Amino acid sequence: MSDNAPVDPPLAGPRWRPFVPVRQRMQQWFESRLRRTDTLTLTQRNVYILPTRPGFMLALTLAVLLVGSINYQLNLGYLLTFLLAGSAVVGMHVCHNNLRGLVLHMTPPAPAFAGTASPLELRLSSERPGDRPAIGLAVVGSDRWAWVDVPGQGSATVQVAFTPQRRGLQPVPTLTAETRYPLGTFRVWTVWRPASPILVYPRAELRPPPLPPGEARAGGGAASRRQSSGEFDGVRAYQRGDPVKLVVWKKFARSQELVSRDQQASQYHELWLDFTGTGVSDIEARLSRLCAWVLLADRLGQAYGLRLPGREIRPDTGTAHRLRCLEALALC
Amino acid sequence: MLNRLHALPRDTRDTLFLLGVIAWVVLPQVPNLPVWCVALAATMLTWRGWLAWQARPLPGRWWLLALLVVTIAATVATHRTVLGRDAGVTLIVVLLALKTLELRARRDAFVIFFLGFFTMLTNFFFSQSLLTAAAMLVALLGLLAAVVNAHMPVGRPPLIRSIRVAGRMALLGAPIMAVLFALFPRLAPLWGIPGDALTGRSGLSASMQVGNIAKLALDETIAMRLRFDGPPPAQSDLYFRGPVLSRFDGREWQPRRDEPWRYGPDSPAAGLRLQGPAVRYEVTLEPSSRPWIFLLEAASQPPQLPGGLVATQTRDLQWMVSRPVTDILRYRGESHPQFAYGPVASDRASQPRLLDELELPSGFNPRTLQLALDIRREAAAAGDNPAAIVRRVLDRLRTGGYTYTLEPGVTGIHSADEFWFDTRAGFCEHIASAFVILMRALDIPARVVTGYQGGQINPVDGYWTIRQSDAHAWAEVWLAGQGWVRVDPTSAVAPGRTGAFERLVAPQGVIGGAIATLSPGLAQQLRATWEAVNNRWNQWVLNYSQSRQLDLLRNIGFESPSWQDLGKVLAGLLALAALVGVVWARWERSRHDPWLRLLARASAQLRKSGLSLPPQCPPREIARRLTPRADAVTPAPAEAVAPIDAQRAAAWATWLDRMDRYRYAPATPHREQLSALEQAFRQLPRLTP
Repeated sequence: MSDNAPVDPPLAGPRWRPFVPVRQRMQQWFESRLRRTDTLTLTQRNVYILPTRPGFMLALTLAVLLVGSINYQLNLGYLLTFLLAGSAVVGMHVCHNNLRGLVLHMTPPAPAFAGTASPLELRLSSERPGDRPAIGLAVVGSDRWAWVDVPGQGSATVQVAFTPQRRGLQPVPTLTAETRYPLGTFRVWTVWRPASPILVYPRAELRPPPLPPGEARAGGGAASRRQSSGEFDGVRAYQRGDPVKLVVWKKFARSQELVSRDQQASQYHELWLDFTGTGVSDIEARLSRLCAWVLLADRLGQAYGLRLPGREIRPDTGTAHRLRCLEALALC
Repeated sequence: MLNRLHALPRDTRDTLFLLGVIAWVVLPQVPNLPVWCVALAATMLTWRGWLAWQARPLPGRWWLLALLVVTIAATVATHRTVLGRDAGVTLIVVLLALKTLELRARRDAFVIFFLGFFTMLTNFFFSQSLLTAAAMLVALLGLLAAVVNAHMPVGRPPLIRSIRVAGRMALLGAPIMAVLFALFPRLAPLWGIPGDALTGRSGLSASMQVGNIAKLALDETIAMRLRFDGPPPAQSDLYFRGPVLSRFDGREWQPRRDEPWRYGPDSPAAGLRLQGPAVRYEVTLEPSSRPWIFLLEAASQPPQLPGGLVATQTRDLQWMVSRPVTDILRYRGESHPQFAYGPVASDRASQPRLLDELELPSGFNPRTLQLALDIRREAAAAGDNPAAIVRRVLDRLRTGGYTYTLEPGVTGIHSADEFWFDTRAGFCEHIASAFVILMRALDIPARVVTGYQGGQINPVDGYWTIRQSDAHAWAEVWLAGQGWVRVDPTSAVAPGRTGAFERLVAPQGVIGGAIATLSPGLAQQLRATWEAVNNRWNQWVLNYSQSRQLDLLRNIGFESPSWQDLGKVLAGLLALAALVGVVWARWERSRHDPWLRLLARASAQLRKSGLSLPPQCPPREIARRLTPRADAVTPAPAEAVAPIDAQRAAAWATWLDRMDRYRYAPATPHREQLSALEQAFRQLPRLTP
């Protein structure tokens, strides 16, 4: 579940830390007990509180102030000490109240490519009249906090940095919300496992080789060619000298790319992106290359089909086709 | 400039605010700090402010290290140590300013906050007045606001918001403070108070050199306050006895040396014979760092003192305590203004002591000795007894053109001669000293008694205020058949000094003078009100001691409270607060609609059985999801893990329908009770077998 989170840096260090695995195991056990939900209402039960290091410093300061007051018999010193202590106690409650009663909601995340930052959009809403300042959200284990003030009887939206690492239908990593407002002496936090999974496409290869050559159409291809006579199925990059009427202006308007209709290619060949014909052996590398090719072909506006073990998607164009192909790659 | 202030980057604004708060914390200390320390701290704070204003980088570590070394060196040079109270205060002020130059991480900010809180405490070493308290309250709010502000990372929240939050926290924390202050056991110092804790407090001293009390006369600080249970005695009877000075070396009067300084608590006051009715009163003594306390003359019973102090009476009727008075001390006294004491006859036991009271150093005051011879001759001619001789000398003071003044001029070594013959003017100590010297020259045992005389009643709260300017010196002579008799030669010179409120007034400051000129009554009124407020402060805050805590417990009903009982009451209150918190939390939960809570329980149970329900699902919708029907617009999602038993689902649906009707159906005569619904809910079967 937290396999998407980056590995804890301490683990990488050479120091022998016997308790880190134990703690991780505890953490996993603890998180696995949490029910997955997209909307989490923070109550007394799922909000935790512990003093921070400055909190212990404040306790030490209070102790020193008290000893000073006793030793010099300063009644005003007692007053100062106790007022500060009282304020700290009130601060503890303010801190806890700041998070308690908050409602966290995650909008189901859009699909994303592995290795590409895809922030999770969270909505924090509060019913009480007072505002809730300084609430931080992050993926558990990461240090990239997104801070937000939630207005009273309103809501705020915040994006939490997240980079999926593995393809597939992945659970959203465990999130945490934290606040130290107002005095920083206590850390109040909650742990949240959103329910909606995120669809992660394979990592697109950065510099893929050119698209594979088209395959000759199969037997039925002639019939279809005749049926679609006058239709321009294939496209290729614009070359100097192409007649203006062959340029796909719609495509240009959308993506500022000059593309020409390629009658011949479309008539005799169709582009198949094949799992077995990528030129690499590793499965993930193949999927990565196929992914890059899908994107490339789509950008060119060329019709392409996808052949995966146990699944075949007929050549087509368009956004829906691209998404279908990417999903097939993700879930392969 | 103001626009620039509003447009400052947040970092700069926060830093300047923090610097302002720190300056405010340090400001009251300025008179008590070495000059270099004030200058260094001010320079560093200004420097830091300039860096923030110009958005320049902070100085490097070497700078800070150099400044630290300079600070420690200067502290050692000034105080000869880095330990102890004064050196500690100097160091902490500079460190606080120095730390602002190293304000990089959040941890640094916390160090500054906590150093700031500690610096606030050091202010109280020097003053615990109402003004100091008010200033430090502002400082506390400022520091808290800075902390709160540091924890609002988003945007550029206005400072007033942090200040308001800090104020609210302090306000809500005030009851906690009050309870802890009232009940936290007042312990004795955990280890010895460093000697320097006692310096810098003025008051009557153990010896008298001519000129000492005149200095006190300019001191308007309060020595003690007094409240009489009944009507107060006459102003001229308000004598508070301090050190009794018998030894004179020509310049300085000192107490007897051969005297065992203290007697046991059970030792009878030497022949004290009380007469007349008793006066009962309560004294609030300001700290004097002297090992004695003051009671109205003459008291026979030691007062009960807080903090383990024990009062004993010397043979000279002075009240001594077991350690110097370093805190405001409150005690009750019972005195008889009419009294007599001392040996009536000069017998074998008292003879040597009485002879001591006749000693005069040779070589001083020759003209006074000559005067004594003259008076003795006149008295012998008139057949006077010693009492008559005393009256004769007092007559001389009354009629000889002697005046009472604060500025008698410089006195030489023959101080009595100068008073009797040259200046003919003096303050009470001159007069008393000259009188006693003359008495001794006349073979009448005599000595100087110092203390306070008189006082002023505050019409606002009825407390008598006795100031350092009420310090007084008078004389005692021993007369056969009467014992020691108080003679106040000053009242012979200036009857107003002891009989009325009359005091020699030292020149006032500009503002005080202006107010007094404009409206003498107003000045009096303002001062009376201010002192009443201040007195309340002293009574309720500064003088809140263990005895008062125990009084409080006695009032709540403890038979013989001890400090352990304080702990018990404190723990009890804590438990009570926790209980109230639990009840409140439950009440807050019950404020939610009970119907909604019941529905939530039902939904939770259904979810546990595997039914997928959106949050806030109405009962009708739940029922629809439980019983998929062909005519439903959207098919119910078949997400249940285990197959739903149709019969059980029907039971649930019936119940959910009742819930729905309870809530939404128009009111009918046979309205269902929510408790019945709840009971039915408990009898519902589990959805999955």
